Amino acid sequence: MADRRRINGPVGATTPPIFDKPAGPVATKTSDAIRKIFLKTGITPSASGSAYLELENPNPQRPGNTSLKLSCTVHGPRSLPRSAPFSPHIILTTHVKYAPFATRQRRGYLRDSSERDLGVHLETALRGAIIADRWPKSGVDIIVTVVEGDQDRDSPESQKDDEGWDMMNVLSGCITVASAAIADAGIDCVDTVAGGVAALVCEDDKTAPTIVMDPIVAEHGSILAACCVAYLPTRDEITNMWFKGRLPGADMMVYDKLMEKSLVACRCANRVIVQELNETVKKGQGIS
Amino acid sequence: MSSTSQHLLLSPAELAYLHGSLSLITPGPIRPDGRSPTQFRPLTAETGILPGTNGSARICFADGTEAVVGVKAEVEKTPLSPYEFVASTEGRKDHTQKKSGSRKSKKATGDEEDISMDVDEEAAGANDKIRGSPDWVELSVEIPGLRDDDSGTVFLTSMLTEALLADGEFVKKLWINRRFHWKLYLDIILISPPLSYPLPLLSLTTHLALLATRLPRLKSEADEDPMFDDDWAAATFLYPRQDTSAKASNKSSKPSSAAAAPASRPPITLLVMAVGDNIIFDPSKEELAVADSAVAVSVAEGPASESESEPEPESIPATTTKRNLQLLSVRTIDPPSRLTPPGVPNSVNAAAWGTMTAATPTTTTAATASATEGGAAKHPDARVTETEDVVGVWKAPRGGAKFGMLGAMVAKVLEREAASPRSQGAG
Amino acid sequence: MPITILQPSLAPPPKLRNVDSDSDSEGGADLEGDVAMGRPAKRARTQDSSIMTPGEIITDDPQWMRGHGTYIIPGASSNTILSSVAGTLAKTNKLLSVRPLRARYTPEIGDLVVGRIVEVQAKRWRVDVGGTLLAQLPLSAINLPGGIQRRRTETDELQIRTFFSEGELLVAEVQQLYNDGAAVLHTRSLKYGKLRNGVFMSVTGTGGGGGVVRARRQAFTLDISGTDEVSGSEKIDVLLGVNGYIWISKHIEGEGAAAETSGPGITRIEESVGLNVYSSQNDIIPVDTMREIARVRGVITALVENGLRVDEEMVIKGYAEAVEMAKEERDSADTLWLGGERGKRLANALVGR
Repeated sequence: MADRRRINGPVGATTPPIFDKPAGPVATKTSDAIRKIFLKTGITPSASGSAYLELENPNPQRPGNTSLKLSCTVHGPRSLPRSAPFSPHIILTTHVKYAPFATRQRRGYLRDSSERDLGVHLETALRGAIIADRWPKSGVDIIVTVVEGDQDRDSPESQKDDEGWDMMNVLSGCITVASAAIADAGIDCVDTVAGGVAALVCEDDKTAPTIVMDPIVAEHGSILAACCVAYLPTRDEITNMWFKGRLPGADMMVYDKLMEKSLVACRCANRVIVQELNETVKKGQGIS
Repeated sequence: MSSTSQHLLLSPAELAYLHGSLSLITPGPIRPDGRSPTQFRPLTAETGILPGTNGSARICFADGTEAVVGVKAEVEKTPLSPYEFVASTEGRKDHTQKKSGSRKSKKATGDEEDISMDVDEEAAGANDKIRGSPDWVELSVEIPGLRDDDSGTVFLTSMLTEALLADGEFVKKLWINRRFHWKLYLDIILISPPLSYPLPLLSLTTHLALLATRLPRLKSEADEDPMFDDDWAAATFLYPRQDTSAKASNKSSKPSSAAAAPASRPPITLLVMAVGDNIIFDPSKEELAVADSAVAVSVAEGPASESESEPEPESIPATTTKRNLQLLSVRTIDPPSRLTPPGVPNSVNAAAWGTMTAATPTTTTAATASATEGGAAKHPDARVTETEDVVGVWKAPRGGAKFGMLGAMVAKVLEREAASPRSQGAG
Repeated sequence: MPITILQPSLAPPPKLRNVDSDSDSEGGADLEGDVAMGRPAKRARTQDSSIMTPGEIITDDPQWMRGHGTYIIPGASSNTILSSVAGTLAKTNKLLSVRPLRARYTPEIGDLVVGRIVEVQAKRWRVDVGGTLLAQLPLSAINLPGGIQRRRTETDELQIRTFFSEGELLVAEVQQLYNDGAAVLHTRSLKYGKLRNGVFMSVTGTGGGGGVVRARRQAFTLDISGTDEVSGSEKIDVLLGVNGYIWISKHIEGEGAAAETSGPGITRIEESVGLNVYSSQNDIIPVDTMREIARVRGVITALVENGLRVDEEMVIKGYAEAVEMAKEERDSADTLWLGGERGKRLANALVGR
C-alpha cells in the first residue's frame, strides 16, 4: 500500500530544468525621451490626498522585466499633538518605504538606511514647493510606498553590480507622485514639483559616453554618473538635486549638460502631473 | 526632521540682519565672524592618534567641536558568485574543489557545461581584474544626542559613503586576491553635540584618517590564503605616497610627514551655501539659517600629472600643478531657513507702530483686523505671507535655487579645490 | 587663506590669579558678583587662589558660615564645612564660598540680561537666559502698547505672540527670584524690550577665565567714526548681558538699553511706548556699520578665546586695537577675521605682552 501521509519524491531520476540564456536587454527607447508615465490621483479614499504612479514597462515580453510602481498617500494638514512645540510652519514628515517584494533583495519591514535617505531627499524636494507658512501649528505626513522598484529581474549573470542607480529613478518617481498627492490634498504649493533623471552612460569601451534621459539601468552597458533633480518649472527653480558618479572635475560642460537633460525630464513629468490634476478637477466639477 | 533644522531658534530681526549682511554685493558678504567667503574655520588636526586602528585622525574646531575617526580593516572572504566560478574553474579546478564548504561552487560546476561557453571569454578576462564591491566599506556616524537611525545621521552617513564609493576606485584598493578582500570599517564619532552642521568636520576627519590608513604588506602570492608582514613599518598606505622616505615619521604626529604627498587623495565633502548672489564656504549655524540654498559637494583627486614641489603646510605652494580633480557627488541640503519664523512688518504689526498710540484695547483689535484681510487675522502668522517683501523683515525663502546658482556653487568648489592643496599640513 | 590647520598644542599653563585682593576682577569669570558684595568685603579676602575639590574639608572652625559651593554634614560635627564644587575658595568676612571655574549663570535681582523666548504660554513667556532654569516674563511685566500704563486685558492675552514670539531676543532686568533660583524678568522701561538691527553672540560655557563680568555698565555705545573708512557718524550699541549673552547692534538715538542717560525718563513713557518696542523690522543699516558690528563681534570672540574678561573697558580697548590692526594690514583682504593667530595678537596687545 502506498504511503499517503508523506509526499514522496519522484521515483526516477530528474534533471534540473535548463533555461536558455535570454537575449541581452535591448534599448527600447531613445535617449532623449522618458518612459510613459501613468499617474492617477485620489486612489486612497481614506487619505486627505493620494496618487499612484506607474512607469511604462518598456519591454513587457521579457520575463524578468519590471518597471516602477509607486503609491503615495498624504495625511493632513492636521493639528500637531499638544506636546509639540509651537511651529509657525507646517511640519512635513516624509516616509519612503519599499514593499518587501519591490526589489530583488527582499526588504524588511523596518526602514533601512537607503529608504531613510530617500525620505530626506523627498522632504527637501517638497519643502521648497509647499507654502509652509499658510498652515501654522499643523503637520502633514507623506507616505510613499514603492510597490515595484524599477529593478531588472533578469537572470543573475546579466545582472550588474548593484550600484544603486535605480534609487535615482525611484526618487524622481517619488517626487512626482508626492507632488500630485499634495496637490490632491489641497495643500498650497508654489508650483508642482516634478522629478527627473539623466545619466551619463557608456555602452562599451569603444563608444564615447552619451547622456540619456530617464535611464533604464539594465539596458545600458554601464552608468558613469547620474543626476536626479526636483524642479519647479514655472519658477524655474530646483528644490533638490542629487548627483553622483565619476566625472572628471574639470568638465563642468558635461555636468551642466547632465543637469539640463534632467530638467527636460522634469518638465516632461510635470506635464503629466498638470494634465492629471486638470482631469481630476474637471471630473469633480462634473459631479457637483 | 533633518539635523540641519534642529535646535534652531533665531529671531526674525537677527535673521533679517544676517541675510542682509551676507547678501551684500559691493564689499562682498560680511560674515558675523569676519571670515572671507571662502575661508574655513581654523582647525587643529592630528593623524595616527589611535594605535589600535589602521588609520585614525582627530580634528578640533576652535569652538570645541571635535571629531575622531578610526579606520579598522579586517580580512574577509569574498563570496564568489556561481557565475564567476564557471569561468574560474576552467583554469583552476584544483583550487576551487579545495573549498569544500562552498556549495555554490558545486552547483555552479553542475550547471557549467550548458551555459559557460559564451560567458567564458569575458569572465576569463575579468579573472585577474581587480574588482571591488560597495559592501567592503562600512561607514558609521555617531552624533551624540541623535539616534542612530535619525534621518539626519543616515543622510550624513549615506552622503559620506556615497562620496567614497561613487567612482568605484576606492573599493578596488581593498582587493587582496580573488578569494579575499579587506573589509574596511570607518567609524566616525563626534565628541560633543554639533554646534553647526557637522558635515565638513566629519568629511575632513575621514579624509585625514584615510590618508593615514595603512594596511599590512601582503606576503602571500596570487590566490593563496593571505599572509601578511608582521612589521607595521612595512605596511603600505591605502593612498600610496610619492615620497616613501617620510613614511616612518608618520607615527609621530609631526607635520613633517606632510612632505610625502599622496598621489591621489580620498574624497572630501564641502558644504557651500548661497545667499543672494554670494557663495559662502563652510557656513556656521547662524549663516546656514539664512541660506537660500545649500549644497554638499564631494570632490576627490586622482593621481596628479606632476608632483608638487615642497608643499608647505598652511599655504598655497608656489607651483600649482595640474590636478586631476573628480566631481563625485552633489546633494542639496535642506536649508533650515525654510523653518525659521517670519518677521512682522511694522505696517501690519498691531503691537509695534505708532498708529497704535492712545488706542484702547478694543480699537487695537479693530485696527488689527483692518490692517490684515478677512480670515488672515485668525492666524497672526499667516498674514505675513500675504504681504510684500519688506526691507528689513525676515521671510523664510520659498521655492528652490536657480539652475545657474547651483552650477556656480559646484564650479566654485572645483575651482577653489584646484587652487589649494588642502590639509597637507596635518601631520 | 582658505583653510588654516593649526598644530595640536598642549593646553596653556593655568594663569596665576593675582593674589592681591584689591584687583579681584582681573581676568576672572566673576560669577558671584563682587560688585554686589560691596567694598568692605575685599579686606577679608586672603587666599583667593586656594583650590578646592568636591568633598574636601574647608574648615571645622565654627566661626565660619557656609556660602555658595559648600555644604555641611548634618549631625554631630556640624561645624565642618566641605566644598561641593571644584573651584577657588573665597572668604568674604566670615562667609566661605567656593567659586566654580565654570558655571552657568545664576540670576540676581537687578541683573541686565539678554534672553531668548523659548516658549509662549497663556499669560507669560519662558525665556532662555543661559541659567539652569528658564526665566519667566509675565505679560503683566511688559509695557503694553497703547501709550498709557494700562491694565492687561484678555485681548492682550489672545495676541500674546504679537509682543514676543518664539526665538525672539529681548533685553530685560531680573525683577525677582523664586526659591528655586528661577528668575522673573520685566521690561517695564524704555531701555528694555525686543532686540533688532544687530547680531547675537553667546560667551557662556567657554570657561578658562573669560566671560562677561558684572560691571557698573553692561550696555554702552561705541563710536565707530574713529575709523576713517566710515563715513558719517554711526554708532554701535553693545549690550553685555550679565548672563553672557551679548547683543551688538546699530545705535539708534533714543532707543535701546544704552540710551540710559539720553533717553526719555520714565515719566514720558506714555509718549513713546509702542513706537518700535515690539517691531521685528530692521532699519536700513549702512554697510560700514555692518562691518564694524562684525569687527566688534570678532573682538569679543578673541577676548573670550584668550581668556580675557569681557567688559566695557576691554571691548573698547580691543576694538581700537582691532581697528589699528586693520589699518596696518590695509593690503590684505581679510581684515575682519580675528580668530586664531590674529586673535592672539590682539589679546597680547591688550594685556601688554
